[in-house]
Amino acid sequence: MTLRELLGAIAAGALALAALPWLASDFLLSLALTCLMYIGLAVTWAMFSGATNYLSLATSAFFGIGAYVTAWGFGSLPYALVVPLGGLAAAAFAALVGAGILHLRGAYFAVLTFGLGELVRHAITYSEKTYAHTVGRVLQDAPESSVVYWTVLLVAAAAVAACAAVRASRLGLALAGIGADEERAQTLGVDTRAAKITAFAIAAFFAGALGAAVAVRWTYIEPASVFNPFIGFQTVLIAMIGGAQTLAGPMISAVVFSLLTELLRLQFPYAYLIVLGVLLIVLVLYLPGGLASLVGRWRRVRA
Amino acid sequence: MGFWLELAASGLITGGIYAVVALGLNLQYGLMRIMNISHGEFLMLGAYLTWLAHTVFGINPVAFLPVVAIVLFLTGLAVYRLCFRRITRTSPSVEIIEARSLLVGFGLMYLVQNAAYMTWGADLRGYSFLADAVEIGGARFAGNSLLAFGFAVAASLALLAVLRWTMLGKAIRAMMQSPTGAQLVGIDTAFLHPAVFGAGLALAGVAGALLSMVYEITPGMGEPYTVTALIVITLGGLGSAAGCLAGGMLLGLVEAFGMHFTSPSLKMLLSYAVFIAVLLARPKGLFAR
Repeated sequence: MTLRELLGAIAAGALALAALPWLASDFLLSLALTCLMYIGLAVTWAMFSGATNYLSLATSAFFGIGAYVTAWGFGSLPYALVVPLGGLAAAAFAALVGAGILHLRGAYFAVLTFGLGELVRHAITYSEKTYAHTVGRVLQDAPESSVVYWTVLLVAAAAVAACAAVRASRLGLALAGIGADEERAQTLGVDTRAAKITAFAIAAFFAGALGAAVAVRWTYIEPASVFNPFIGFQTVLIAMIGGAQTLAGPMISAVVFSLLTELLRLQFPYAYLIVLGVLLIVLVLYLPGGLASLVGRWRRVRA
Repeated sequence: MGFWLELAASGLITGGIYAVVALGLNLQYGLMRIMNISHGEFLMLGAYLTWLAHTVFGINPVAFLPVVAIVLFLTGLAVYRLCFRRITRTSPSVEIIEARSLLVGFGLMYLVQNAAYMTWGADLRGYSFLADAVEIGGARFAGNSLLAFGFAVAASLALLAVLRWTMLGKAIRAMMQSPTGAQLVGIDTAFLHPAVFGAGLALAGVAGALLSMVYEITPGMGEPYTVTALIVITLGGLGSAAGCLAGGMLLGLVEAFGMHFTSPSLKMLLSYAVFIAVLLARPKGLFAR
């Protein structure tokens, strides 16, 4: 498929999904919304981390920053403005931090990005307590669920389209080059630093926008719930299981896992997480390329 | 005077525990590039084992320490055999070992932590052991935290001695310097890797057992210690056991004094600030030449 056909397919899919609020029940709609949220998160995570092999655990930090932009801005600013603002705030944060930490590789980078989420969470908790004298914030007059759904759909579709475009661009090639051998890419004239920061910020933009868009679903916003590291882990897990080097892999596994999570997590919270843990271990050990690598293997066998 | 001594001592006591936790993780990472992010979960297991032994069977926690160490060592052998051996054998490069072991570590974290929640529930558990205050030089300390500090320092020093003066320690240091070179001169990786991994978990378990004497325990207690251990390793330098001990004490002091001058709710913020500052300014550790 060429890029233009791919973008057309994404637009067509998004248009078809836009009809859902008239067809489905509230429960199905919220299920679909969760699926879309994880599609957007997993696809953009894979765009940066899957290509470069920089394991970022900062998704929950970006998501939480977006959600807090909503918490602060919603009410005085329109919803349509809060969502891109949340994305921009997260992207600015990512660019700033990325400039400082993107020269670190491997476990250091992963741990540091994980620490970022905690750092921002603790900083917000502290400043809210000291200056605003609150623990959390209550959101009033949330938009209708169909409006939230369309917004999330739009952001998720834009995320997928952006990833498709990046993959086909010079930036995408530079990212893949960094993942294969960063020093070689540098020697061949790729500005690896700029490429990494740009991609990191793009991924952060969508995570932040999704956080800002989804935040209105919760009437009460507090740091512990929006900076939940579970969102970050689940995103990594989804992308890895689907195959972080592909575009379709994370999308498919996002749907599967969001459904599983929504159905099982409330009923069997601990058992579900145990199963998730075991699944992650087994998958990393026996299928490190993700489910998408199965398709490739199957094709090779048939050929 | 007594107050400052107490503050400094409380920092050193926490720091001693940090050092033990970090030593285990540092050994595993320095030797095999296994970033075992579930390290703190095994600390939690050690704490719960001790708590069970004390409350159900009435066993003295100090006497139970060696049992915790052995049980966690055997657990480590099993975990290595089941998870990490395959990673070290099948991964094409060191970086991929790091990334994959990190993900497996997250899986283990989910697994162990939630299994503990299922078994013991989310309640705080604890027991009282040597809680009477002891007075030294005008400062008062709880007996159990002095004991924990003593054991933590003893365990760290014992490990340092093993690494420095025994044949086994020499082999481990050789492997850290050059894995291929060590194999060429006949050092047995197939024996050393699982043994060192097990030793790391045993240290975590001992740290957990010591903590259970001082603080109340929950299934989620391990996670902050993993992060702290990573900070200590960064401070002390990768693969440096002595650096770990010094880094642990230093972080303990920074936290104690920082919390005193700002506020206790900033504890994690302080640790992260130290972590990020060190990573940016001296990524090879404070004591690197």
